[in-house]
Amino acid sequence: MNALSLEQVFKQYGDKTAVNGISFDVAPGEIYGLLGANGAGKTTTMRMVLGLIYPDSGRILYNGKAYSKEQLHGLGYLPEERGLYPKVKVSDQILYLAQLRGMSRKDADQNLKRWLDRFGVPEYYNKRVEELSKGNQQKIQFIAAVIHSPRIVIMDEAFSGLDPVNVELLKSTVKELRDAGSSILFSTHRMEHVEELCRNITILHKSNPVLQGNLKAIKQQFPRERIILGTDGEVNGLETLGGVLSVNRHEYGYELMIADEAAGRPILEKAMTQTEVRRFEIMEPTLNEIFIKTVGEKHE
Amino acid sequence: MNNGFWTVVGFTAKNKLRGKAFLVTTLIIAVIMSIGINLPYIISQFSGEGKATVVGYLDSTADKTSSQLFTPTRIADMLNKYYGAQEKPELKIVPIADAGSADANEKALKQAVSDDVIDGYLAFTPDPESGFPAVTYKSESLMESKVSQSLKTSLQAVKMDAVINGGGLSKELKALLTKPIELNTVQISTAAGAGSIDGQGKTTEQQGMDMATVYVIIFMLFMAIMISGQMIASEITAEKSSRVMEILITSVAPLKAMFGKILGMFLVVLLQLAVYVVVIVINMTLPQNADKLSEFGISLNEIDPVLLVYAVVFFLTGFFLFATLFAAVGSIVSRTEDLGQAVLPITMLSLAGFYICMFGGLNNPGSMLMKVSSFIPFFSPYAMVVRLGLSDPPLWQVWLSVLILLVTILIAGWLSAKIYRAGVLMYGKKPSMKELFKAMRAYR
Repeated sequence: MNALSLEQVFKQYGDKTAVNGISFDVAPGEIYGLLGANGAGKTTTMRMVLGLIYPDSGRILYNGKAYSKEQLHGLGYLPEERGLYPKVKVSDQILYLAQLRGMSRKDADQNLKRWLDRFGVPEYYNKRVEELSKGNQQKIQFIAAVIHSPRIVIMDEAFSGLDPVNVELLKSTVKELRDAGSSILFSTHRMEHVEELCRNITILHKSNPVLQGNLKAIKQQFPRERIILGTDGEVNGLETLGGVLSVNRHEYGYELMIADEAAGRPILEKAMTQTEVRRFEIMEPTLNEIFIKTVGEKHE
Repeated sequence: MNNGFWTVVGFTAKNKLRGKAFLVTTLIIAVIMSIGINLPYIISQFSGEGKATVVGYLDSTADKTSSQLFTPTRIADMLNKYYGAQEKPELKIVPIADAGSADANEKALKQAVSDDVIDGYLAFTPDPESGFPAVTYKSESLMESKVSQSLKTSLQAVKMDAVINGGGLSKELKALLTKPIELNTVQISTAAGAGSIDGQGKTTEQQGMDMATVYVIIFMLFMAIMISGQMIASEITAEKSSRVMEILITSVAPLKAMFGKILGMFLVVLLQLAVYVVVIVINMTLPQNADKLSEFGISLNEIDPVLLVYAVVFFLTGFFLFATLFAAVGSIVSRTEDLGQAVLPITMLSLAGFYICMFGGLNNPGSMLMKVSSFIPFFSPYAMVVRLGLSDPPLWQVWLSVLILLVTILIAGWLSAKIYRAGVLMYGKKPSMKELFKAMRAYR
């Protein structure tokens, strides 16, 4: 059974449609990517999942059951705009939030200490949030979202504003949560994170789900149209080959845009006649390209 | 109401109590109160009461031989006898030797003042018409009201004494003549009103004490509403602006979050008021203060317990009515800077009720204005307490007022909860009424 499923969920604010019939399922132990430009309806969708707003039509099911107040305790939320009490001690407010989600103070305290150790910052237990750096506040925020071991975690812009070291740390933590069986609804503007973490995605554009499904399958729908060619010396006459749309000279060699995959072979052959080839790859389309293509095209 | 509610209550109260600002404020107000109550005693300590003021007069030889009844020397003798009879003489009259000429006399008297031999001196100007000289008291101080008052009384007394003694009046008649007339006012209860125990009348002392008690209660109610209301509103706005609200309302139902905050703050305010009441009671019962205050007719024993019970009822209802409104306003505003302006209508409402009672009610508690105000929910906590304390409203009116208040609290609570629910997720500029109404329907 799916941990979370949305069926034709529709939401309107006044005469503006915020979410126009979105449906998707998140399995236990899966990270689901919800992508879209700013204002595409991601936050509204997440708020509906959190039970903050009720959909105008459609259903949201949690483990096959409709929303109830008890579900709140099984949900974890990392909001896009980070928020903690600046003047309250870390331990006080995390334990407060954990207790609100139905944990006993003792269990919450144990979990908090474990998480602080996990992030290598046990000394923050007695610090006030305003004393911490932004990156460390994010860690505390993350702990606030997962301290009660929720079955469904909603992460809006999970890694924004973090340095690469902390991004890796949180990313591996998210993977651990996934492996422990939590379902994670994940939104970000960093497509490489989605490629690394998500199995299935939905791309929202102006309130409409425009692209949906398994990430690998989506990628295969899009043609491979980029070739990376790494060479020792120069290669001349690549532009003249059939199917080559453009050639860019880089430090490592060349990047070519091609009309279809059949153009690959002549390029490799031509390069081999002129110099040593270190690398030749017909690139899969990146999610970034797919995103820009999907959202950008419809923009015009 | 399960754990979530009480967790919010506990967190709110604990954080407030831990805050330095709260502790400092409570302490400062408690100290100010203590000083206020001790003020009469402190003043008496500094004004050197008990030590007689020394007043000089010119002791001329000419007076001693005069046949007149009221010469300066004779008056001074009588005054000394008068003050000598007092337990603690207020004044001491001392002679200053005649220096011969008027100028030299004046100089000698002034010298005596500057040498601290005397605090001031009396100058007598003969007044043949009335037979009693005009008296001038001269001293370095600007307004020696206490000394002049005392002199006036004593001069009047010695004059009367001398005249009566001269006329040969009997001791009994003299006592009768000097005995002041007694006039007491008693407030009676014609209907079985709610303002007093068993419809008994209230004596002047009780009335005075009621007036003071009502004043204190209204003032405390006003302060509690304003301070705690502002605190509730600003805490909610702070939660919104720091975005902790989003996590909060995904963890606990908004209704619980709001009423938990209100109750938590209420407990804090209650504790604060309890501290003040204890400070007041302790200070008032200190021996040196109890004596001083009873001179002014202030005594804790005179407070009407029935009035206190009603005061608590109206205090509770008034507090929760305003608190829910403050919470609703706090939830609409996204930034703390905008809060002051947004709470203004509620502040005005509370202020209006307060001023109606302070200026229209304390002097004339039976007026139509007060009667009407005591049924208007936002004014009634103030107005009904004034009517209860200072007049005698029928019982049914009191409970009708309470009932109206309770119904209003329910409506305000329900409305505030709706506004809160919608308001906490609205960011950006302050929403218009229309936007708010639309949002209230969208969020269930």
